[in-house]
Amino acid sequence: MPLPLAHRRRLVAVAALSIAALGLSACSSSSASTPSDTATSATHVMEHAHGETSIPDAPKRVVVLEPVQLDTTVALGITPVGAAVLNETAGVPTYLGEEAADIPTVGTVAEPNVQLIAAAKPDLIIGTESRHSALYDQLSEIAPTVFMATQTDPWRDNVQFVAEALGDPDGADELLDAYDARCAEIAKEHDTAGKTAQLIRPRDGVLTLYGPTSFAGSTLECAGFTTPEHAWEDISLDLSPERVLEAKADQVFVTSVDPDDTSTLPASLTANTDAFPELHLVDQSFWITGVGPLGGMAVLDDLDRLLSDGS
Amino acid sequence: MTKPTAILTARDTSVSGRAPQRHRLLVGLLAGVAALAVAVLLSLFVGANPIAPDDVRAALLGTGSDEADFVVWDQRVPRTVAALAVGAALGVAGALMQAFTRNPLADPGILGVNAGAGFAVAVGLAFLGVRAPGDIAWLACGGALVVTLVVYAIGSGGREQSSTARLTVTGVAFGAVLAGLTTGIAITHPDAFDRMRGWNAGSLLERDLGVVVPVLPFLAVGLVLAAASARSLNAIALGPDVARAQGVSVTRSRILVLAAVTLLAGGATAIAGPIAFVGLVVPHLVRWSVGSDQRRILGGSVLVGCVLVLCSDVVGRIAVLPGEMPVGLVTAFVGAPVLIALARRRTASGL
Repeated sequence: MPLPLAHRRRLVAVAALSIAALGLSACSSSSASTPSDTATSATHVMEHAHGETSIPDAPKRVVVLEPVQLDTTVALGITPVGAAVLNETAGVPTYLGEEAADIPTVGTVAEPNVQLIAAAKPDLIIGTESRHSALYDQLSEIAPTVFMATQTDPWRDNVQFVAEALGDPDGADELLDAYDARCAEIAKEHDTAGKTAQLIRPRDGVLTLYGPTSFAGSTLECAGFTTPEHAWEDISLDLSPERVLEAKADQVFVTSVDPDDTSTLPASLTANTDAFPELHLVDQSFWITGVGPLGGMAVLDDLDRLLSDGS
Repeated sequence: MTKPTAILTARDTSVSGRAPQRHRLLVGLLAGVAALAVAVLLSLFVGANPIAPDDVRAALLGTGSDEADFVVWDQRVPRTVAALAVGAALGVAGALMQAFTRNPLADPGILGVNAGAGFAVAVGLAFLGVRAPGDIAWLACGGALVVTLVVYAIGSGGREQSSTARLTVTGVAFGAVLAGLTTGIAITHPDAFDRMRGWNAGSLLERDLGVVVPVLPFLAVGLVLAAASARSLNAIALGPDVARAQGVSVTRSRILVLAAVTLLAGGATAIAGPIAFVGLVVPHLVRWSVGSDQRRILGGSVLVGCVLVLCSDVVGRIAVLPGEMPVGLVTAFVGAPVLIALARRRTASGL
């Protein structure tokens, strides 16, 4: 038996290292805490997607589990004490501003971390029935928890839901009115009536076209553009690069993780620049995931800038 | 070196006689080449964009419209080249692995090649900011190579008789660990996961010649090494002891086969991402029609691998119009029933 001992030692070392690495990553939990007592003020009952819950009239320590909830809460002037984010490395989206950058993250939107949420001592948790249903009982032990139905509902309805949960339903109307006013301003300034616009998200080699019911698509329509007719599947449509010419529109916006890098434009579009005279790369962090009044304003500002550059 | 073939030929002859055997081979070869030609034509003429065959012909002859030129020259021709490279490489890599491990269920992934490539791609996407398909291809190639070397270093020690099994176990174990780490990275980095999803399913979209051509030399060397190892694999099929008694160096052929599998499977994975079932199914189809001589099996696997990947890609282009389905999903759908059918034929899996 030549060598077996040395081999075994090497394997043991590898195994020990792997176990140590796993252990380290599992040890990041924090001490459990009791629900906060700060919300001693008045409460009322709110009906929501997971039933009826008694919530404080004016919550102060809010945890949000969905991008549209984070955006709306910040827009209403409340800084959440915890937010689930799409990407823990990127953290809270930068378009939300500097104050929001310090909001602690409590796991991802897909998998919120219940222990981190408890540690934030919230007096209200806002989540989404379609994503977080299984967590409801755990969350409601930490603090009163309300769920909106799904993140695919029209985003304006979700903004209104969040504002109602925060005890500020008028705030939602103000935000949406301001957004509509900005839309009208852009529509007038750039004379968008009768022109078409299309948002494309390159994904897995195919082109995903976003329709009028998507967040960015509805924002383009709000700004006066019409979206070319397609057989939309829910909010979007996947298109083979062979059929790229079907994505033609007067203004075409292509999402990118780095809009300054033109190499992020898919080859099928760069090969057909003649057919796409107005082609703009846009930041996917708010054009796709910035659902909410602040994200909507960021998209409209970006749109204003791009249309001004072009003309 | 000629003895093992002589033995095998004798065995074949006793069953079917030498002349009919030749005849059958020739028919098989012609059928394979014809199928390949049809598959290439399908790949050029059929796709998500329903342009007329006349327009495709015009584009091929250089007189097409802008749209037809774009569809044929920018989309279908590069994909066809990529499918040919990937199909040939995966088919041969699968045949080599099955002969080498003498296990009809072996595929190139067993050495951890796919897991290594996947892990390298995940690390590149999540931590190194890699984005271009060309760079991803290099990462995949490098990852495959490093993992095979590590698996070989760990698994090849000890007594020679047991080392094929040890290599396999080491490869599977290593592949499982790396796949776990890759999943961990994907879960904690949704951006990387988003970009990896397309690669992970195995797709020929956006694989222009700039991605395929740099990998071709690796595949060519891999095919040459595979051809060089065919004779010794015939001997190994009779068991390592018999092979050694016939003067075949088991260690030398093992290194040849491993190098060939790494280059072929690593190169194919670099181009298209992991494509399941091709390496597993193709050698079965081939053995069923050409018998057990590895030289014929390897040659046949080139043809059948190309046909399978080309046809699967064509199906993927028109399965979910106006979008596309990645070729890796189609091969899984096509491959699974074929494998079940073959497994039910008692003689098909014989090695």
